[in-house]
Amino acid sequence: MPENRDPVVHLDRQFWIVTAVLGVLALISILWWVWAPITSIMPEAVDKAQQIDALFRFLAASGTALFIFVCGYIVYFSLAFRRHAGTPENAVGIQIHDNNKLEMWWTIIPTVFVVIMAIFSLRIWAGIEFSPSNTLVVEAIGHQWYYTFRYPNVNGEVKEMHLPLGQAITLHVTSSDVIHSFWIPAMRLKADMVPGLINTFEFTPTRPGRYEIICTEFCGTLHGEMHSGTTQNPAYVYIDPPAQYASWYARTEREQIQASNAISAPLSPNQLNLSRGDAGAGAKLFAAKCSACHAVGPFDQKIVGPGLKGVLDDPAHPQLVDGDKATPENVAKILQNGFKGSMGEMPTQAGNGLNNKDIVNLVAYLKTLK
Amino acid sequence: MAVASVSHGGYSGAMTEEPDQLYVETRELRIQGFLLFMVSDLVLFSSFIFAYLYLRNSGQGWPAGGPKLDIALAAVNSIVLFGSGATMHFALENWKHRNFTKFANWIVMTIILGAGFLTGQVLEYMHIGARWSSGIFGASFYTLTGMHGLHVFAGIIYLTVLLLQAAQGKYTFTKYTGLTLGTLYWHFVDVIWVVLFSIFYLL
Amino acid sequence: MTAVATHAGGGLADHVHPEPQGFIRKYVFSIDHKIIGIQYMITAFLFMILGGMLAELIRIQLMKASGGLMTPETYNEVYSVHGSTMVWLVIIPLLTGGFGNLIFPVQIGARDVAFPWLNMLSFWLFPPAGLMLYASFLMGAPTAGWTEYPPMSLLGGAGTSMWAAAIFLIGVSSTMTGINFLVTILKMRAPGMTFTRMPLFVWGQFVTAPLLMIATTALGAALAALFVQRQFGVAFFDPTRGGSPLLWQHMFWFYSHPAVYIMILPAFGMISEILPTFSRKPIFGYKMIAFSSCAIAILGFMVWAHHMFTSGMAPALQLPFMVLTMLIAIPTGVKIFSWVTTLWGGVIHMTTSMLFAIGFLATFTLGGITGVFLAAVPFDLHAHGTYFIVAHLHYVLVGGSLMGILAGLFYWYPKMSGRLMNEKLGKWSFWLFFIGFNGTFLPMHWLGMWGQPRRVAMYDPQFQAWNQVCTYFSFVMTAALILILINALWSMRNGKRSGPNPWNARTLEWQIPSPMPYYNFKHVPSVFAAPYDFAEPLPYRGLEEELTGAPPPVPAAH
Repeated sequence: MPENRDPVVHLDRQFWIVTAVLGVLALISILWWVWAPITSIMPEAVDKAQQIDALFRFLAASGTALFIFVCGYIVYFSLAFRRHAGTPENAVGIQIHDNNKLEMWWTIIPTVFVVIMAIFSLRIWAGIEFSPSNTLVVEAIGHQWYYTFRYPNVNGEVKEMHLPLGQAITLHVTSSDVIHSFWIPAMRLKADMVPGLINTFEFTPTRPGRYEIICTEFCGTLHGEMHSGTTQNPAYVYIDPPAQYASWYARTEREQIQASNAISAPLSPNQLNLSRGDAGAGAKLFAAKCSACHAVGPFDQKIVGPGLKGVLDDPAHPQLVDGDKATPENVAKILQNGFKGSMGEMPTQAGNGLNNKDIVNLVAYLKTLK
Repeated sequence: MAVASVSHGGYSGAMTEEPDQLYVETRELRIQGFLLFMVSDLVLFSSFIFAYLYLRNSGQGWPAGGPKLDIALAAVNSIVLFGSGATMHFALENWKHRNFTKFANWIVMTIILGAGFLTGQVLEYMHIGARWSSGIFGASFYTLTGMHGLHVFAGIIYLTVLLLQAAQGKYTFTKYTGLTLGTLYWHFVDVIWVVLFSIFYLL
Repeated sequence: MTAVATHAGGGLADHVHPEPQGFIRKYVFSIDHKIIGIQYMITAFLFMILGGMLAELIRIQLMKASGGLMTPETYNEVYSVHGSTMVWLVIIPLLTGGFGNLIFPVQIGARDVAFPWLNMLSFWLFPPAGLMLYASFLMGAPTAGWTEYPPMSLLGGAGTSMWAAAIFLIGVSSTMTGINFLVTILKMRAPGMTFTRMPLFVWGQFVTAPLLMIATTALGAALAALFVQRQFGVAFFDPTRGGSPLLWQHMFWFYSHPAVYIMILPAFGMISEILPTFSRKPIFGYKMIAFSSCAIAILGFMVWAHHMFTSGMAPALQLPFMVLTMLIAIPTGVKIFSWVTTLWGGVIHMTTSMLFAIGFLATFTLGGITGVFLAAVPFDLHAHGTYFIVAHLHYVLVGGSLMGILAGLFYWYPKMSGRLMNEKLGKWSFWLFFIGFNGTFLPMHWLGMWGQPRRVAMYDPQFQAWNQVCTYFSFVMTAALILILINALWSMRNGKRSGPNPWNARTLEWQIPSPMPYYNFKHVPSVFAAPYDFAEPLPYRGLEEELTGAPPPVPAAH
């Protein structure tokens, strides 16, 4: 077979005029994306949002430019090379098979583009995944079909999310039942809330205001109601100036203590009827409240805290983490008072939003783990 | 052995006739198709092996002090299964050397060893005493070894059918693709066991 | 002229079975690849009608922000079954079992696939599986989408187990088809049909077959695990018992990302046949198109976790998945550029089939570009799980795969029926489809960016206006599909007779009569060049008698 059977190709003036027009259109689209008023539709509430928008502008500009060239040529070729009424039935097109130079360029250019895009993405990604220490750690928990939040030193779960302006935040998200997702469009960030798993991301709020939270993973019947536009449990995050945040925090801390006192008039472990618990109800509570930090596995199986399999029946570990003997009463004591140790911190009874009945049921469930 | 004395109905001049072009081409198709089937079967095992390793390493309570696997029993059982791989190899070699009696003896031996392996597996299951639904150990161990056991069981039936077919003269000493495929299958099941034994008993 | 290899006598090429007699053997339990292909197509189009009705129910529900047509539970069932239907009962069977079976064995000069009986079995697993999927409506259909993530799928109705079983059957069928096609292409090409002379549709099937074979088996494992978890309490995915919901996502996407390429590579192949035929030009960059398909198929196995950037993977794992995903843009770009260049300098016959192929180029390009956006992890953190994804996937699967299927339907219809589909009606339906499709799915891009999550039965009222736009355009698209259906049914009896080669195409299937005879070729031809040199004589030898009254080959004597 002859090696080079292709005719020599000359591109006519028309082709270059069309190319120039497409080039101008592409340039206009690029400029449009550079200055597109994204923030007037969707404010950028955190530092990461600005970076992600910059990436989006880059992607959208290059994507639109490419799209304009491809579609422009498709339309131009389709019109210019259309078979005319007088063309003989057996007419053929220009019998060209290959052009190594052209093919080399349209492989190299996308490759360069991909490299740029990858580096651009990586730099932003690194900022989201690894960021400075000394952050405020907030935890968001998904439920069917609402969100709750936990703050350091605040008892229990609160229904509103407030963040201080300018303070670096580490957000932990998890779920008490099925997979949810935590998306704040104004932050351009989301993470799935997976039961038994904690996902994390970091950012610094840069713009005060009230922003919506939306669930984007299917989570059951009312998945479509898990956002801010509903009357049931409208989900918002409030970014407050530091002073305003401080007063909200102080108020919430106080209220939660009062609320938790109302839930559980403190009883000593001996006053709880620990032999009468409902292990089934305890299992559900465990999945909802404990499984993010504790595995149902041997002691060594740490997530945040130790694995709890055989906690009341483990010859290798006759003592609890606080050094007490492993008895139902002492387990109940840890559930009531929480625990702070090398491996992490467990909230108190009020912090976990447990009432006395819950403690009894949890102990009953833990007894069944052998 | 009893089976060996079955008269070979098709034993005649036709047993050593050169295979025709159609047979040669069809044999290639069948062998290639069978190899691809084994590849996809391997993917099935690999998926569950991935699941097992993932669950074991996902920090969710792998039972370190849980059910005790009997490594001695499993080792003996492994030797039984590998032995059956060797006997199967001898069976096919003897067919290639046109010795039906020896072929039949070796394949019967293979079937017996295969059945022995399954018995060993049942003993091991009884020894462990866990259930399929008991946690992720039950899920991984019983699913994978169970699937393998089913493959061995299917293999025993497969080899029995091949033996009966050979006795009835379905294969000749020049046209025996079915026997080749059966041997391939049996070796495949052996190899899978090597992997399963390593990841459950040695890891 | 170079010497051309010929068959050794007496092999498969000369081996013809007698044509089966009687309706059942001929049309129901047929082992003929062409009949099986048509059976696949009819079944898949029937399921497409059902899936399309579900799609319209979805759009009507979303006319109002508060929902209203259906309860959320019913709505969840509807979109889950819609997705499962379109992926497993429509697009994959049409592209592989349907067009694959019908066309590629003839294109390589074979008399049938390697294992005709297995082929029949593959098909006959498909209708029962589809019926099982729809029967799940009777017992509480699956609600967690076509991806069925646990724990939601563990809580779903009894139909979820039925769903798993149905898709498992489809998977077995796909695996067998993959093995069958792969062996056929490797072993049964006509003499001289080297890999660089294979039509590009055959290349499409050749790289799809291993994906079918390997990825589908992995899906089978995941489905089996879900089934035993639901039915026997085996703790694979249940987080409260040590299982991991993310394990399902890994196992599922290890199949379902290659499945995306199962759904597009054969369509790439179709486009690569249709564009040169109607441009009267060789395909530009044949080798690069074939090679890039291989590259896409291989890379396709290494990128599954890009569906899970928000799920909670180790950060260090996200990195390679992101970069590998972006790499896929390169071979895909090469293909698109080659197709566009094929148009240049042609003598373009603007048939309906060509219109769909050109429409494919435009819409698939857009879907491909948004796909590259989503590969960038930071952007994906914003867009994941929203209507942006819905827009992207429909641009790829409807604007890509389905447009390819429709182009192929108009192109190869004569090879099934001996008649042409009506061109005038066809062109009307193309424009309606193109406008309806873009009007339906383009607005979903910004709906998603602004904050509408997917899989919702009701949504924030601020998005209502654009959702109504989507719904109205979806009616246009449905109307176009109904016109195409009417066209296909009407043309079966009333279409213009096509003759063997109405498009002056050069691949082998056009050199034999339409509809194609049982044995395909009177003599299996020899091939001495790739099929795209429109200025040259046909590169085949041994086809002289195909269109004459010469007697058909004599069946083998057994």
